[in-house]
Amino acid sequence: MTVTTFANVIARYVFNDNLLWALELTTYLFAWLVIFGASYAVKMTAHLGVDAVALRFSRKTQRILALIAVAACIAYAGMMLYGAWEYWSKFFYKLAFLEVEDVPFPHWIQTLFGLVEDGEPRYERLPRYIPYFILPFGLTLILFRFLQIAVGIFKGDLTMIIASHEAEELVDEARAAHDDTGASGSSPSQGAGR
Amino acid sequence: MSAVILFALVIALLTIGVPIAVSLGLSSLVILLVFSNDSLASIAGKLFESMEHYTLLAIPFFILASAFMSTGGVAKRIIRFAIAVVGHMRGGLAIAGVFACMLFAALSGSSPATVVAIGSIVIAGMRQVGYTRDFAAGVICNAGTLGILIPPSIVMVVYAAATDVSVGRMFLAGVIPGLIAGGMLMVGIYVAARVKGLPAEDWKGWREILVSAADAFWGLMLIVIILGGIYGGVFTPTEAAAVAAVYAFLIANFVYRDMGPLKNVAWRKDGEGLLTAVLRNIAAIVIGFVPACVHPETKRTLLEAGRLTIMLMFIIANALILKHVLTTEQVPQAIAGAMLDFGFSWWTFLIAVNLLLLVGGQFMEPSGLIVIVAPLVFPIAIQLGVDPIHLGIIMVVNMEIGMITPPVGLNLFVTSGVAGMPVMAVVRAALPWLGILAIFLVLVTYVPWISTYLPTSLMGPEMITTH
Amino acid sequence: NCDDGEIVIKFSHVTAAQGHPKGEAAALLAERVNDKMNGKACMEVYPNSQLFNDNKVLEAMLLGDVQMAAPSLSKFEKYTKKFRIFDLPFLFDNIEAVNRFQGSEGGQKLLHSMESKGLLGLGYWHNGMKQLSANKPLLMPEDAKGLKFRIQTSDVLQAQFEALGANPQKLAFSEVYGALQTGVVDGQENTWSNIYTKKFFEVQDGVTESDHGVLDYLVVTSAEWWNGLPDDVRSELKTIFDEVTDERNQMSRKINLANRQKVIDAGGTVRELDADQRAAWKKAMEPVWAKFEGDIGTDLLEAAKASNASN
Ligand code: NA
Ligand code: NA
Repeated sequence: MTVTTFANVIARYVFNDNLLWALELTTYLFAWLVIFGASYAVKMTAHLGVDAVALRFSRKTQRILALIAVAACIAYAGMMLYGAWEYWSKFFYKLAFLEVEDVPFPHWIQTLFGLVEDGEPRYERLPRYIPYFILPFGLTLILFRFLQIAVGIFKGDLTMIIASHEAEELVDEARAAHDDTGASGSSPSQGAGR
Repeated sequence: MSAVILFALVIALLTIGVPIAVSLGLSSLVILLVFSNDSLASIAGKLFESMEHYTLLAIPFFILASAFMSTGGVAKRIIRFAIAVVGHMRGGLAIAGVFACMLFAALSGSSPATVVAIGSIVIAGMRQVGYTRDFAAGVICNAGTLGILIPPSIVMVVYAAATDVSVGRMFLAGVIPGLIAGGMLMVGIYVAARVKGLPAEDWKGWREILVSAADAFWGLMLIVIILGGIYGGVFTPTEAAAVAAVYAFLIANFVYRDMGPLKNVAWRKDGEGLLTAVLRNIAAIVIGFVPACVHPETKRTLLEAGRLTIMLMFIIANALILKHVLTTEQVPQAIAGAMLDFGFSWWTFLIAVNLLLLVGGQFMEPSGLIVIVAPLVFPIAIQLGVDPIHLGIIMVVNMEIGMITPPVGLNLFVTSGVAGMPVMAVVRAALPWLGILAIFLVLVTYVPWISTYLPTSLMGPEMITTH
Repeated sequence: NCDDGEIVIKFSHVTAAQGHPKGEAAALLAERVNDKMNGKACMEVYPNSQLFNDNKVLEAMLLGDVQMAAPSLSKFEKYTKKFRIFDLPFLFDNIEAVNRFQGSEGGQKLLHSMESKGLLGLGYWHNGMKQLSANKPLLMPEDAKGLKFRIQTSDVLQAQFEALGANPQKLAFSEVYGALQTGVVDGQENTWSNIYTKKFFEVQDGVTESDHGVLDYLVVTSAEWWNGLPDDVRSELKTIFDEVTDERNQMSRKINLANRQKVIDAGGTVRELDADQRAAWKKAMEPVWAKFEGDIGTDLLEAAKASNASN
């Protein structure tokens, strides 16, 4: 789903590069993609980290370290969620008049949500609290995923929060490509954009 | 004081296995709560704001372009061209490997991607003609780092976003250093080949050069689109990245046909008339366009690029939070003041920068490291009269070295997989060539001209005053 | 750094700390406050968008993370459309007229026009009058026809160039030099200070001394924070602020004239307009006024026009 959005964004962006609102919309969708995707990456334990030190310890110590680490992650997500909620609710209640720079807010959508009074839509452009909604929403998901990971580590199903060498996957794909060099079915891959 | 605690916290969290992004974000939050009266709300806002950054929007597009270009077919064609040009020299296949890495680096913004694309083909080829596995892996592991020095470069986009210098200038600045670094590696290989008596390929003639160049043409056109587009004033770097992504998609699906619905469908079948072939291809492309957009391979590429984008951007966003806290706490100013009082000159300062980055590069992911270090050293550099573009190139070269040094060095992991050898063996294999990169770092650090000549002569002198 | 017990005032802006009218004014303000109000208040200035850019700083102010900022007037669109008056072309004859208007009852009322939304204006800081430049000579309004001009995000400025038959393009300030050089845009409008310090004249055919509009900043604070200050602190701050504002605004004219001369010394071309030419430009752009009269209010517009007559 994210992927389709992403593809749409690119298409729209490239073909309408003079439309400022398309550009702004792209940046918002980008932010949504990353914050939403970050929770998915937690679920997949795909976030990058340093495992070289932890791997040197005994299994028991590793487990304790992992529990401390996941507690830190939960603290992070909890504080961020609190801040995100404060931020968003300020925009929703007190600063609801603030609009984005360029993205229009179509009349019919405003009608749908009862934002039209006496035939006059309340907004010309998208109110800021709409794009910002991803903050409390995304961080709730991130917090939830970290809690799930904590349970997993506690039960012993998981040993780490981070990808053990993010490169492993790349390497597997590279091997596949290497085995039947040429137009193989291996998915195109690359390092984390470095 | 707060700065010391901040960095100690980051390192402690990293060590116990907390994700990089969370380590950066959590440490910033703690410092903020203890030392400052900023609200948590503003930090959450920063998380969103960093992703609204127009410059950083180039990153997903470059990642995507690179993903479509990594489908084997482009790399194969580039390698063929490289072998045709330099393969007949002593150590020719290794030199061609470096040359191919340089060419691929001009299409891709990432180093590991360069290693995967070129290494998975060239290392096997080199072993077949009698090179040792160590030699082959060591060469490619090093040459692959050029992926972030030769434009386009994701690390440069990150530097530009963190310091507000122009992405276009940074890209231009990478051209001469990239050529020099590649040249130095080639010379090193040639010398080693003379000493060790390594093999040379047959000279296949000018015709092969032309034919292979024509074959690689559509891939190499991407360089022209990106650089020509930016400097010709057709589009901004972010737009160039988006165009590159779409172009790469079209080339991979419809020209090279390495993926998608037309995979393995020939441009001209045996005995087919020219007109029939033209009409059939037009029809195939028109009919195949929508299927190509929703083809499983396209989806997988998008998903993969999306995954990388998310991981990278989440790190960058949290690093930007840390940057915000550093600014609020006025840490760069404090360090700058201390350094100036200590009597640092521009060249001793650059030694300090190199050491900081080399140590940091052992543990950190390049983009995150740059976001944190750049705002720290940038103001000092300006005060000492160091050109911001020059500083950026120094940082990029340090990141290159960080990628091939343990414990965190993505090029090492990737090479180990591609060459099928243990990581420690790759470390040893890469070591002699690392020496060349180290010499190159000194050269780049103390000869600013290498970095600044192209951008200054094409775009005028860099100005740092804003508004 | 601030001592315990002092009221911390964070001032965030986007220009260089030195060499720019706004940066210098902010630095002077901080110096005076930290000197005269030592023990009571302490001002920290964050230049160069270190903390927030112009688009974010007002939100940060409403969240309580900065206390003072000085965005250009067009950044207040979302809070009140009345500030559009300062973007209207050829409304003010010169910077003295701008001064008179800002000091008038109408100008002072504007400072309080956003209080319901949480922002309070403390006063206006000048950058100066705007000049036009392009990659060809601009002497008559027809010369601008079909050219692409860089503008800030502002509906008035967009209408102004559309009235000329030109093509306005929104572009970040940091990208203007490159865009002019590569031909992404053909021209721009700015004060002498900006044209000289950003070296725009190097990549333009010449600069036409049009004085067609004003580029000013509103120093703004959070109404909640300001009204919550102890009375003595607030009045002392305001006194210092007004002094600094007067001093710096007088300087800004000198700085602009000096930068005009520096453009000429550096080999840039400066074209002056004769009375007929200026009248032609004014005639071409004036229709824009009517378009925004509804947003601004007729009274205010009349007051602004009246400020041109010095007495
Ligand atoms: Na590259
Ligand atoms: Na490393």
